[in-house]
Amino acid sequence: MSLLSIKNLKARVEEKDILKGFNLEVNPGEVHAIMGPNGSGKSTLASVLAGNENYEVTDGEVTFDGKDLLDMDPEVRAREGLFLAFQYPVEIPGVSNVNFMKSAVAEVRKHRGLEPLEAKDFLKFMKEKQQLVELSGNLAGRSVNEGFSGGEKKRNEIFQMAMLEPKLAILDETDSGLDIDALRIVANGVNKLKSKDNAFVVITHYQRLLDYIVPDFVHVLYNGRIVRSGTKELALELEEKGYDWIKDEVAAEA
Amino acid sequence: MSELTTTSVLAELVKGAEKPNSFLNIRTEAETFLAENGIPSKKHEDWKYTNAKRLFDNGLEFTSATDCTFNSVDGVEIFWSEAEKLTGSTAIHTKEAHAALNTSVFEKVLVIRVKKGTQVSDELVLNQALELTGNYFAATRLLIELEDNASLKCQLYFTGSNASEKSLHNHVTEIFVGQNSQLEFNIVQEIAEGNLVNTTEVFCQRDANFTTNTFQLSGKLLRNNLNIRLQGENAETHLNGFYMLKGSELFDNHTLVDHLVPHCESNEVYRGILGGKSTGVFNGKVFVHPDAQKTNGYQQNNNILLTDDATMNSKPELEIYADDVRCSHGSTTGQLDEDAVFYLRARGLDEFGATALLLTAFAGEVLNSVSSEELRNILEQKIQAKLKEMRA
Ligand SMILES: Nc1ncnc2c1ncn2[C@@H]1O[C@H](COP(=O)(O)OP(=O)(O)OP(=O)(O)O)[C@@H](O)[C@H]1O
Ligand SMILES: [Mg+2]
Repeated sequence: MSLLSIKNLKARVEEKDILKGFNLEVNPGEVHAIMGPNGSGKSTLASVLAGNENYEVTDGEVTFDGKDLLDMDPEVRAREGLFLAFQYPVEIPGVSNVNFMKSAVAEVRKHRGLEPLEAKDFLKFMKEKQQLVELSGNLAGRSVNEGFSGGEKKRNEIFQMAMLEPKLAILDETDSGLDIDALRIVANGVNKLKSKDNAFVVITHYQRLLDYIVPDFVHVLYNGRIVRSGTKELALELEEKGYDWIKDEVAAEA
Repeated sequence: MSELTTTSVLAELVKGAEKPNSFLNIRTEAETFLAENGIPSKKHEDWKYTNAKRLFDNGLEFTSATDCTFNSVDGVEIFWSEAEKLTGSTAIHTKEAHAALNTSVFEKVLVIRVKKGTQVSDELVLNQALELTGNYFAATRLLIELEDNASLKCQLYFTGSNASEKSLHNHVTEIFVGQNSQLEFNIVQEIAEGNLVNTTEVFCQRDANFTTNTFQLSGKLLRNNLNIRLQGENAETHLNGFYMLKGSELFDNHTLVDHLVPHCESNEVYRGILGGKSTGVFNGKVFVHPDAQKTNGYQQNNNILLTDDATMNSKPELEIYADDVRCSHGSTTGQLDEDAVFYLRARGLDEFGATALLLTAFAGEVLNSVSSEELRNILEQKIQAKLKEMRA
């Protein structure tokens, strides 16, 4: 059974149709890359899957681990094991990363029928995950994303992902704006967390990430639909030729 | 002013109040002020949003109230007095009507004194637990004096789980912070449906440090008049407030920092969360006199409205008559950050948990200026409890 199954998903924001019949099947153990020009609907897809109420689903079905995803509140989706690394992580002054993660981990554990971790165990767990993404203790103690650099924010997203141990993680341009070292750190984090039971959907503009996180499938999202799917060679082709040839082909097919 | 007129002014204001046979000088001054000015109505600029006069118009009945409870703390002298000479020496009863009314009818003053050079380590906790039912009126009074080189931390609770919406508690605290002394004064107001007009008048001497944090948690009408006079050079004050309103509550903070001399510093942060159809008022005046060069004055008021029907009236007032000063102020009123709520929910917190975490963080800047961890925890719990009430 697939972990995530999206069928004919249509969604709009502020009276504007963005997703226009989106289909995708993701199985455990797979990595899917979604590429596509600016404004094609990649973040909209991520937002809809995470449950952002600003986006209205007008048609289609999404099942996650066999359950109706669209029926769940955002927090239930997270507790069920769906994780979105935001393209633009939000700054939250006054809320420390530690407290935030303590609450989040406790909620996720509760949902899975587990007791909250003892303070000592929690700190140990957190330290482990911090090391995984080379996030300094100093950043972990600070307010969530407040005053973080772009790269630090992205690393913090991967750190949160590591803490919550999701079944499916959607990374929305987690690589954008990262220097090569930060990119490597983020990619290593993902690779260490990868298993036969979980899956990743990686939204990116750049082939270079896919050298580190090797995708099983590459999809091109254009104008609210997947217009091409292939293997990692498709990403190389896009890197080389841009999107115009796809746009032309799509226009010709229409 | 004849005795007859005086009594009748009081009689009109508060039935059953008699002039006690003590503190005669200040009582006479207060009555003169009252006879001339009366209790301010909403026409008065300082009472534009806060109609306390309506309680008088409905009729108030005097009741005796001298049952403030307190713990015993090493290094603190604390006693009831009918003769304490500092009482009224701030002259606040000749400036503000409610303080004047208090002065004309209060029975005894609770005096708290820390002698020269004494550093008090334990916290003094005072509880004004008044259960003002019906249309009862009570006047209570405190006087805190830190002689030179002394220090004290003090908590003052106003509580009353049965206080009625027709009652009125009038309280005055006069505070004297001596040279190089430090006072932390935390105020918690939680009086159910009751009404409170609370006046705090503070004189700070050279090198003094006065910190006060006011937490308004429940009440039909809560009005604080806080006046801090920086009278000696290098005095420093931190005045903070946090208020949370639901239903038709009205909480009002009028603050004044009076920079009278050079090289003083004031730092003010008031923050509030307003739900229901509540009304908040913040009026923060920083007055820098011509002599008060090198003043540092900082003021901030931030509000979060949880509903469309809640209203905040925020008015910072900087009056600066010296030219070499650093003063700034800012006021914001807005909604909870929806993107932040979603971000937290996307990590597994439910909507209430996310909201509570954000609002507690918002309160944090004020909470963190309370030095007692125990009190901070108590306040955090009270804030959480009120958030739950506000959700319902
Ligand atoms: N909250 C919103 N309000 C209005 N329009 C929106 C909103 N979110 C997205 N859109 C619009 O929807 C379209 C798709 O946006 P989306 O962010 O999904 O694109 P994207 O593929 O992620 O682009 P990028 O590569 O630039 O991140 C764009 O035209 C965008 O302007
Ligand atoms: Mg995007």
